[in-house]
Amino acid sequence: MTMKTNKDERNRVFFLFIVIVIWALLIGSALVKVQVVDYNKNMAHVRKQRTRTFSLHPKRGAIYDSKGEVLAISVKAKSAFLSNKNKQESLQLFKRIRRKLRFHRDSNKNWSAVKDITRRINAGKSFIWIKRKLSDDEYEKLSKIEIAPESKSQLNFLEEYKRIYPQGAMAAHVLGGVGIDEQGLAGIEFELDSLIKGKGSTVEVLLDARKKRFSQEFLTRPVPGKDIYLTIDSAVQFFVERELKKTVLKYKAKSGAVIVMRSADGAILAMAGYPVYKPGAICDTSSWKQKNRPVSFLYHPGSTFKIVLAATALEKNVCYPQQVFNCYNGVFPVKNQTIYDDHPAQKLTFEEIIIHSSNIGAANIGLKLGKKRYYEGIKGFGFGAETGIRLPGEESGILRHVKNWSGVSVAFLAYGYELLVTPMQMVCAFNVPASGGYLVQPYVLARIAGEGPIKRKSARILSPSTSSRLTSIMSRVVKLGTGKKAQIEGIEIAGKTGTTKKMKGKGTQRKYYVSSFGGFFPARNPRVTIFVVIDEPSSAYYGGEVAAPLFRVIAQKLMVYLNIFPELYRENEVRI
Amino acid sequence: MKKKGKSLNGIFLLMAFIVFILVFTYLSLNLKNIDYGYDLQELREKEKALLEEVAILQARRATLLNLERVEDIVMNRLKYQYPEPHQFIKVFE
Repeated sequence: MTMKTNKDERNRVFFLFIVIVIWALLIGSALVKVQVVDYNKNMAHVRKQRTRTFSLHPKRGAIYDSKGEVLAISVKAKSAFLSNKNKQESLQLFKRIRRKLRFHRDSNKNWSAVKDITRRINAGKSFIWIKRKLSDDEYEKLSKIEIAPESKSQLNFLEEYKRIYPQGAMAAHVLGGVGIDEQGLAGIEFELDSLIKGKGSTVEVLLDARKKRFSQEFLTRPVPGKDIYLTIDSAVQFFVERELKKTVLKYKAKSGAVIVMRSADGAILAMAGYPVYKPGAICDTSSWKQKNRPVSFLYHPGSTFKIVLAATALEKNVCYPQQVFNCYNGVFPVKNQTIYDDHPAQKLTFEEIIIHSSNIGAANIGLKLGKKRYYEGIKGFGFGAETGIRLPGEESGILRHVKNWSGVSVAFLAYGYELLVTPMQMVCAFNVPASGGYLVQPYVLARIAGEGPIKRKSARILSPSTSSRLTSIMSRVVKLGTGKKAQIEGIEIAGKTGTTKKMKGKGTQRKYYVSSFGGFFPARNPRVTIFVVIDEPSSAYYGGEVAAPLFRVIAQKLMVYLNIFPELYRENEVRI
Repeated sequence: MKKKGKSLNGIFLLMAFIVFILVFTYLSLNLKNIDYGYDLQELREKEKALLEEVAILQARRATLLNLERVEDIVMNRLKYQYPEPHQFIKVFE
């Protein structure tokens, strides 16, 4: 009996074992079919169901000034678009949108947008931009529009980045601006576009049954846009721009430019041009306003160029400061041309020629120096080549090769004609005696976040003794000569004025001038080099009358800002 | 014979228990992993939102510190003036 029971039990266990084995085999074979045989097909289904691939646009890096204040930054903004599946519904909806956004006939730009959108709706386009990068106010208004869920035409929003320039028009020419798709169009935004823009990425997102994201994987890695720091100091830039504007408006001038450079290393603290524009509205700005005058305004430097002549003559030991030159009482014929002086003199020393800005005296120094040596000197100061500041639109100026100079070229070049320069080249030239004889490369890009220091070029072109002698002469220009209006009590300023007659074609009755002044201070321990140029001032035109006072106003503000204490007010010093 | 069957049952039970533990551990780890995935995703979204907020606040701060605006407040509302050079006092040690 017991034996039979055991046998039944064993049979039952064996039967159960067989059933389990068959069940396991069936499951196993099903799994093999699903996971091995139909692997590719099933994986494709799975991927389709639970993954989504997105392209991510990179965020543009921010631009900061030397003190870390934001000059340009990108923030998210909504862009509105219309899904057009029914023309009538879309036109009705667009009418409501127009009312909210106040697209009226009186605004040309808005009205052309209205006409364009209407044309697209009628053409049956399914995706139509209404307005990109809405303001918070506009988004709030549009998001309140109620649309029936069953409506075939819907108003939708996409998130995009919008470039903001919190300082408005300040440093517009340095910053430049970006287009609607955040591409750099001008200024540093254009020059360093690839660096600031970064690179987009593709990301695969895993979704659960409720379409909720639970994991993501980068298919291509993003390269975020880099933040950059400029040498521009917002405070200096602000008052330089304001004072430049005042001067341009006061003298009803055509335009103007001012550059403020740190003497020691060539860092640009401020770089202003007038007229200005708002970088946020660059697409609606004329190229005339967009022109970055400090690097692209070409003009004859006039008497400011006499510092190049004096430096070369002293460096090559052709002249000495007390050497006397005949100034022909204001009229000096050279070959078939005549050079005139506004203030005639019979004889002047080398120093007096620079102090009183005698063209005839300068021409004589030039003739004594000779073509070759003068050309070498001019080239040494960097004229005829870009300064390397890395700003788009920089002009290299025009300097003809010495082989192409005429018999009178050296005389005219001595007082700044027969060549074209930019204000940036001139500020670099004025900075040579200020930096003790070095031609330093100007720069606006201080550093790139996460990267090492940027190498700068500088080369000695004048000996310390020539620099010192030139500085003395330039100080006397401000104390006794044409630059008196740049003088500040208690501070020794070294500078030189310039007034250039503009060539405006034959038959022009009115005379046009360019007034300029360059200088640095304190003369014996220079901290800042400034160059000012005013194009076509109306009521006055001498550099000493138009540009020198602007230099003085900027220098006075800089004194306060940079803690340069006037030597005159010794009684105001308190020792603690 | 009976003793041998009993010990076999014991081994089966033990193995079933071990398999159960392994499967349970594997499943719980997987579920935990998925939970962490959700948490991570949520934190990433939060990080992104916070970074965006930082950018907006930076822009707002810079707009408020716009020098034209500040000067207007200081000169016109608070009636301050730029000091003359002789009004400065140099303090040094």
